[in-house]
Amino acid sequence: MRLIKHALKTWLLWELVKGLALTMRYFFKKSITVEYPEERTPLSPRFRGLHALRRYDSGEERCIACKLCEVICPALAIVIESEEREDGSRRTTRYDIDMTKCIYCGLCQEACPVDAIVETQHFEYASETREALYYTKEMLLEVGEQYEAQITANIKADAPYR
Amino acid sequence: MTTLFINDEEITVSAGTSILEACREHGADVPYFCYHPELSVAANCRMCLVEVEGWNKPAASCCTPVGEGMKVTTQSDALSKDREMMMEYLLIHHPLDCPVCDQGGACKLQDYTMEHGAKHGRYAEAKRAVIDHDLGPFVSTCMTRCIHCTRCVRFADEVAGTGDMGVLNRSDHMRIEGIVEEALESELSGNLADICPVGALLDRPSHDITRPWEVTRHKSTCTQCPQGCDIVIESRGDEVIRIKADVDGVEPWICDRGRYVHDAFRAEERILKPAIREKSGFVEVSWDESIEAVVDLLKGKRVGIVFSPDWSVEGLASIRLLHDTVFQDAKVAFDLHRRDMRVFVFEEGFSMSSAQIADADQVVILGSDLRQRLPILMQGLRKRSNEGKPVIRIGAMNYRTNSELSADALIRPRDWVAVIARAMQQLKDLGKTAAGMDAWLEKVEVRHEAGKLLADALLSDSCALLVGEEIRSHIDAAVLIHGLDLMMRAAGHAEAGSDGRNLIPEGMNTQLLSAAFGDIRASVGDLFDAANDGDLDALLLIGSDPLGDGLFSMQAKRAMGKVPLVQVGAIMGEVSEFADVILPAAAYSEVEGTFINMEGRIRMAEHPLCTIGEERPLWKVMMRMIQGFGKDVPVVDLLELRTRIEGFLPEMAAAWSTDDHDLCLSVARNRDADSISDGIEPAMSLDVVSRYSMYREGVWVRASSYLVEAGSIHALDDVLVHPNTLQAAGLNVGVCKVRTASGDFDYHIGVREDVAEGVLFIAKRGIAGDLSCEVMASLGGGQ
Repeated sequence: MRLIKHALKTWLLWELVKGLALTMRYFFKKSITVEYPEERTPLSPRFRGLHALRRYDSGEERCIACKLCEVICPALAIVIESEEREDGSRRTTRYDIDMTKCIYCGLCQEACPVDAIVETQHFEYASETREALYYTKEMLLEVGEQYEAQITANIKADAPYR
Repeated sequence: MTTLFINDEEITVSAGTSILEACREHGADVPYFCYHPELSVAANCRMCLVEVEGWNKPAASCCTPVGEGMKVTTQSDALSKDREMMMEYLLIHHPLDCPVCDQGGACKLQDYTMEHGAKHGRYAEAKRAVIDHDLGPFVSTCMTRCIHCTRCVRFADEVAGTGDMGVLNRSDHMRIEGIVEEALESELSGNLADICPVGALLDRPSHDITRPWEVTRHKSTCTQCPQGCDIVIESRGDEVIRIKADVDGVEPWICDRGRYVHDAFRAEERILKPAIREKSGFVEVSWDESIEAVVDLLKGKRVGIVFSPDWSVEGLASIRLLHDTVFQDAKVAFDLHRRDMRVFVFEEGFSMSSAQIADADQVVILGSDLRQRLPILMQGLRKRSNEGKPVIRIGAMNYRTNSELSADALIRPRDWVAVIARAMQQLKDLGKTAAGMDAWLEKVEVRHEAGKLLADALLSDSCALLVGEEIRSHIDAAVLIHGLDLMMRAAGHAEAGSDGRNLIPEGMNTQLLSAAFGDIRASVGDLFDAANDGDLDALLLIGSDPLGDGLFSMQAKRAMGKVPLVQVGAIMGEVSEFADVILPAAAYSEVEGTFINMEGRIRMAEHPLCTIGEERPLWKVMMRMIQGFGKDVPVVDLLELRTRIEGFLPEMAAAWSTDDHDLCLSVARNRDADSISDGIEPAMSLDVVSRYSMYREGVWVRASSYLVEAGSIHALDDVLVHPNTLQAAGLNVGVCKVRTASGDFDYHIGVREDVAEGVLFIAKRGIAGDLSCEVMASLGGGQ
């Protein structure tokens, strides 16, 4: 009996019919494809995209060169050099992130005691050269200025869960 | 010995040990802030509480001596609660600024808070803020972070000897005060940053630059003075961040000179590439071209070689190999502070260790500004003198020591022979004699009363003589040293081993220098005179800067420019101006090598700093030169070189084959040398004595901006005399004419009662440098 069933399925192309039926079912269903870049999916406030260095409202940079992000970075993507600024405060003279090394784990953001380094929701910064992915302090501060409203909103949204 | 139980484990320690020390010795963990093994016990942090069975309160272990059969517990629930409360108390006013504090990551308060502290702080009131002190170029302060352990206060009082620093007020208003200018005057001020358990006192030059976890540590030996302290150099990449005392080293402290010289390792003055002088200045060339130029300059010439004793043992031995292979007839010199080249009865170097000197019944400092010359040894003597043990000094200047001397005599250098004769006479009158003593004594008619101090000290069971630069640079040094040796023998001090004959050497590695260069060493002054007179055709300077250092700058200046000069070194000096070819050799921090200190202690540097240019270890440069001259290279690696060194100093074999850190070389003796005074009357009225300043002497030091800055703080007048000397000459303070054998000079003369009468004291060699070449002078009328 089992052999007859198997022979029938084989000769009547039953598997093919099953497969085509599934295809036809999706053919008439509503499509869920997002037409990127015209359309976009929503992003979580915890999304980890391009890094930014933030400033206080007064314009003073937040980073105090404690180097905790540098030491926690598992990919060794961050390089910091610091010195005492004229007013006696501790500041970075160099803050570089190599985006080609970064694995976007977000540990830098977690380690930062002053919320200076954050990961934004911005992820569309692909470039044709590796050099362009080497972000310096000025570039990171610029990203911060550009996305400050978004960063603040995301931190606020995530705050109840921290 | 006392037997007690720590956490149920039976241990035996010497009686009188504190519980904390017993715990530390046996690996039981007890937290503490105010305790420091080198300082007195203050017992004010209350962190080191332990439980002792049968006692109804926990005991502060740092100030509780062990008792027979005591049962000590270091971990219990009650103790955890106590420690938590202590931490909460200490943290009330401590700011929460760990991310910006340099101590963060290496901070006791931080570690103990994690280990013993409460999860949350309960203190919600206003915290206090304290005004910072200005502690000069080396120590930066943030007094708000202070937890009042008073280690700095005790350090200033007991170690630095500057004192007058203390704690003002109580509770919330408690402040460390009086620290300000006092600590700055200490040559050990850099240690303040090391002993502070929190971030209140920090290292200023490296402030806000690095984190403790970023640095790589290289164990090394400091070559800035013959003490040769064990140091740890901290670097990050190519940068040198700071130098610290090695916690496993012999001495717990290091001086500011050795600590802040690191600035020079990366200074602009560093020689990083071979260079040849062209009309427009130095032009960098390849090693091959530079060696060719050296061969052109030196081949077939009569060459004078002057080198610095501070290279590694391997580097120094390679200079001897260069001499033996290429320049057999060359004059070789390295003593920038020695005028008398006759053989000394006891060679330079210490026959006692610093610890033995500190334990001796009597210590006599003969003509040395020990605080400047060997700050760490002086610190040991200061500690000794605080304990009430005698330290006697005889010298031309009442050098500041920051401690009480038991006896002190001011003499002129020409009186040394009379001082020794007076002491010898006293020994002789007591029936203590030695072979040759009568012959020595016969030639000296004068006696000086200061000799009584010396003789009295020699009559004790153990006496350490520290023979300093005033005797070593004396024109009759061999006679004086022979006299001292005769007296030591007469007074019955052992002839071998720890026999109290300690002659402070020029620099490091003095045992190797005596062994390897004893037969060929010449006077630096004679060598430059020969170059000046046309008896030498070329000069090869290896790391030495006779224009900036030492007693022969005038002779060197005359010779410079007259003959071609090849400089091999790690750093430019004043001589570089005259050099025709410059070859880069790696600094002492950048070589794998061996160093011997004045006590004969051998240290190997195995993990050097990375080099930053084309510099090579000195021995490789020497071998490259030998190759350039077309000779067979005698050694090709360190092992072969070390075998050659064992030919000079057979004891070194043991140092290279074992890990024995206590191995000590003995000081060589020349029993047959019997120099006797020829009793010539001095020609001029004043003796010239020049000061050794730790902030000026040495080519590395002058390239360090930190030390130059510190030197300007410690400056004295250029030339000083005793007021009576000036009065006797009928002169007033101001510009006077100084008459010497080589001409008249005008200098501003200051007065100070600390200078012996009849002495012209040169405080600032940098300005009155040429005058230090003179032995005698007289004062003429003002301008």
